[in-house]
Amino acid sequence: MSERRDEELSHIYRDAEGPRPAQRVDDNIVAASQRVAGNVRRPAAFAFSRRWGTPVALAATVLVTFTLALMVFERESGLDTLAPKAPRGGRTPKVSPAAPVRAEQPAKSPPVEARAEPSAKTPSPELRSAAPAPATPSPRAPAPLERAKPPTVETALSSERRATGQPARLPEVPRGVEILRKSEELKPAPAGASPGANVRAGAIAPQPPVPDAQRVFDAQQQIRPAQAPAAAPAPGANVVRESASTLQGAGVGAAIGSRFVVPEAKERTPEKWLEDIRKLKTEGKTIEAERELGEFKKRYPDYILPEDLR
Amino acid sequence: MSDFATVLPFPARALPVPAEALHLRSMRGEASDEELMLRYGRGDARAFELLYRRHRLPLYRFLLRQLGNAESAEELFQDLWMRVVNSRGRYQPRAKFTSWVYAIAHNRLMDFYRVNGRASFLSQEESESVLEDLPAVEIAADLRLDRKRAAKRLLAALGELPDAQREAFLLQQESEMSIEEIAAATGVGPETAKSRLRYAVAKLRASLGKES
Repeated sequence: MSERRDEELSHIYRDAEGPRPAQRVDDNIVAASQRVAGNVRRPAAFAFSRRWGTPVALAATVLVTFTLALMVFERESGLDTLAPKAPRGGRTPKVSPAAPVRAEQPAKSPPVEARAEPSAKTPSPELRSAAPAPATPSPRAPAPLERAKPPTVETALSSERRATGQPARLPEVPRGVEILRKSEELKPAPAGASPGANVRAGAIAPQPPVPDAQRVFDAQQQIRPAQAPAAAPAPGANVVRESASTLQGAGVGAAIGSRFVVPEAKERTPEKWLEDIRKLKTEGKTIEAERELGEFKKRYPDYILPEDLR
Repeated sequence: MSDFATVLPFPARALPVPAEALHLRSMRGEASDEELMLRYGRGDARAFELLYRRHRLPLYRFLLRQLGNAESAEELFQDLWMRVVNSRGRYQPRAKFTSWVYAIAHNRLMDFYRVNGRASFLSQEESESVLEDLPAVEIAADLRLDRKRAAKRLLAALGELPDAQREAFLLQQESEMSIEEIAAATGVGPETAKSRLRYAVAKLRASLGKES
């Protein structure tokens, strides 16, 4: 069905003035349409961030995750893979002033060392059960120094074992030594204990840590008969004594001593040390205070000194 | 259920989109109303702006001349476009966009009349027999020359028409709808739509031919 338009009427109708909706009505409608469509025009920066925000966030997440994983891996491998690496001979001892001595000594008496090693690492089952965890760090020592120390012991022992053909057992030696040191503190050593060892140690290694190490092995000697008097025969004790002296001669004692039997000044907490330096200063001992401060700075290079000591 | 069913109180009558209209628009490189509405449904706010620009004046004139009150016309006009905006996701081009949007306008007008007690729109006062009795009136010669005055008189006569007849005339003038489309948009049969339109035209011509 079609109906022709009355063109004459249509022309007249179109000539009539055309009313328009108010501008605010137009604005309301267009704004509502844009709001509903979610297509409101946004600044270029927003468009840029909208476009690149997700890729950048993803990249940052991957980077952070990778870095963290790498750090954890490095930390774990840095501590744990040192022992397997040392026997291969690829590493040179970092902090072992007695290294040349050790290189010569093992060749002289390898069987004694082979026998001595178990005594050094495990004094007795009772002591082992009572011993603290070997890796427990000293709460007073700063982290960088703690991390720097293990290679010293490890290289000394591993080079020792390398010479004897023994597998490296790094954690066990410190454990025994720690236990011995503790037992030494509990039970004072008799004055005449192992004089021969002392003499030999003094002859071979006159460095300050050597007597400490000797004390350790002497204490070991004292504990051993007390713990198992019937089981340990007299020749065994001699063997242990000999092995201790051999190890001492090889510089292991020095290495152990440098690691576990630290000098008194280094056992102090940094705060205590600084307090002592302050005391020296107040007492007018400027030179000593300066020297102490210099040692302190060497030992704790990262420590932020108080204002009065800078 | 078509989109008409959501806005019309009567069963929807699907009207095909005239191929000529689509052809003309495509020749001019313009998107059709239906295409723009679909684009808006997909989130293209620019498509709505184009659609709005195309239909805002005819729709506003239609409402204003039906209501005779700018304030009410603006209120209904805004409400009408809000319905279009809110229907963007459900819109399906089963009929011309014009038919769809004027159907919404018709429904809004019906609601307005009901609320304001204008029941004359709902009466069926015209019939074919009445129409056949109407004489064909020539437009006065002076009015043919003075188009402005003629337009003024035409608008005055338009205001005197019954709502249904005026609606049919306005739908034809503003949206260029066919009888079928007017019938679909207003929810009546094509015969009724045709008679309303004829009646309106006859009365308007008569008003323009009285004075000479």
